[in-house]
Amino acid sequence: MAQNKTQQYIKQLDIDKDILSAINNGVIVLDAQLQIHYYNKWMQLHTKLKEDDVLGKKLYEIFPTINKKTLKRKIQTAFTIQTPTFYTASSSHYLIPIKINQIKNSLFEYMQQDVSIIPFKQDKQFVAVIITDQTIMANTNALLQANIQKVRELNEALIKEKEITEFQHKQLLSNSRSAAMGEMISMIAHQWRQPLSLINTVIATLKIKKELGILDNKIIDNSINKIEKTTNFLSSTIDDFRDYFKPNKIATTVNISNLFEKSLFFLKSELKQLDIEYDINIDPNISIVTYKNELLQTILNILKNSIDAFKEKKKSKKKISVVVVNNEESILITIEDNAGGIRTDILQKVFEPYFSTKSKNGTGLGLYMCKTIINEHLHGNISLESNKNGTKVAIQLPDKV
Amino acid sequence: MNNTILSEDEEDVLQELMNIAYGSATAVIAEMLEAFASLSIPNIQVIQVDELLKTFEELKSTSYFFSSQAFNGEFSGESAFFINEESANNLAKHLELESKNDLDDAILELTNVLTSSLTTKLAQELETEVGFSLPSISKVPLNEINEVQTFKIYSKVIVINTELNFKDQQINGKIFILTKDESIQWLKIKLNNILNNLI
Repeated sequence: MAQNKTQQYIKQLDIDKDILSAINNGVIVLDAQLQIHYYNKWMQLHTKLKEDDVLGKKLYEIFPTINKKTLKRKIQTAFTIQTPTFYTASSSHYLIPIKINQIKNSLFEYMQQDVSIIPFKQDKQFVAVIITDQTIMANTNALLQANIQKVRELNEALIKEKEITEFQHKQLLSNSRSAAMGEMISMIAHQWRQPLSLINTVIATLKIKKELGILDNKIIDNSINKIEKTTNFLSSTIDDFRDYFKPNKIATTVNISNLFEKSLFFLKSELKQLDIEYDINIDPNISIVTYKNELLQTILNILKNSIDAFKEKKKSKKKISVVVVNNEESILITIEDNAGGIRTDILQKVFEPYFSTKSKNGTGLGLYMCKTIINEHLHGNISLESNKNGTKVAIQLPDKV
Repeated sequence: MNNTILSEDEEDVLQELMNIAYGSATAVIAEMLEAFASLSIPNIQVIQVDELLKTFEELKSTSYFFSSQAFNGEFSGESAFFINEESANNLAKHLELESKNDLDDAILELTNVLTSSLTTKLAQELETEVGFSLPSISKVPLNEINEVQTFKIYSKVIVINTELNFKDQQINGKIFILTKDESIQWLKIKLNNILNNLI
């Protein structure tokens, strides 16, 4: 029994000692004057100093880099509040300089340490200084910080890039507006050719009749009437074009059948000149709420593309047909031609800006603008299919933008 | 819902206990900084964390150092200490600190002293013990840190809000003691024990 008791007592004593000796932390016991009273195995191994070398000496004598004033203050504070005070690896790096030679923690020359200064209860004479190796953590943190910095820089570069892209997009829009203007002038020119030659003919007839001496008042009146009518028509053409190329600010109810009638008005002289049949098959009751001029501009652009395609290929029975289907909450407009189609290798690129197959006069912005307008302003979709026979453009639009 | 709201009596007792705790905290800080310190009478509230975040938002307008420290035991939680840049610089001057790291260290020490002395004293009065984790610090400015968001892990918190003033030094800061629901319930039981003993 007595032996048992002794054994138990020894066991308990050994546990404390063994743990202090085996623990993976540095443990130093100091007094308020920083004199060393205990120096555990871990400390001995890491600092390559024996117990006899350090006991009884002042900590700052052995490690002259230690800030005496700060350490004394921390010990004093620990005595006063009777709870631990600390050094953290993140702000103080280390208390005891221990050189490290590790591949993994290459960022630091010295072991990074969290240090707790624990007061012994009751007596205000001793503190235990517990040192924990935090090098791995500090290393990871430093790497993380470096990466955060890198991500931040990349992000800034990305924002700049975005600004540049937005600027380019704006420029693209303004370029495409000029292109649309050019397109409009070319359409006006087509519209004007016939009435202008009519005026010319009237004037030539007047001249001949005057020279022949057969010019009477009736002929003059007749001719003036004709010229007046024609100039009025020319003037109204400009108004029409101007109206339709101004962007709309508010969405209105647009009758799709009327809209295609209008497109015919703009293109009829060119269609007639090239002998293209224009087949519009639309239920007159279909209407949607959208931006009218933007949609008309898109449709004209697609129709112009078909007309231009016919110019490059000789073909009999040229035809452009339009079908509109009314689905629930959306409509599907299909514009199809038999102008021979688009080569498969370039079909992917037709919606890209500055892409054009037209040798001259092509800005390469037409279909890109169509897609931008349909997707971003009219909240619809545009797609394009093509085969040897011809091209089919499908536009899906919501019934209300 | 009601078990996490402090009654008027409970709040009074807590206020009393905090006053005692603050008394000792002030003395320790004065000793540490060798300067006369005063802590304003703590304002104690149990609030939703959303309201707390609003308070933090207000603090964001100026550059602040923000440090926090966890404490564990039956009464567990976290302290959050805010000190503005000007005060931090005055602290650095007073302690004759040379580097940014030394200043961080000093702020952490202040955080630790405040948290430890406040909660230890309070724990003593409530007949329990608390252990402390290492404090950590975040860089200025406050709106660049995410920690504020992580306060959302607390649904309700006891906010003990005080100003720490050193008359000559012009150093002031704010400390919040944040505790979770279960600690609030534990605290209520303890506070009621004290109340019952008073009657």
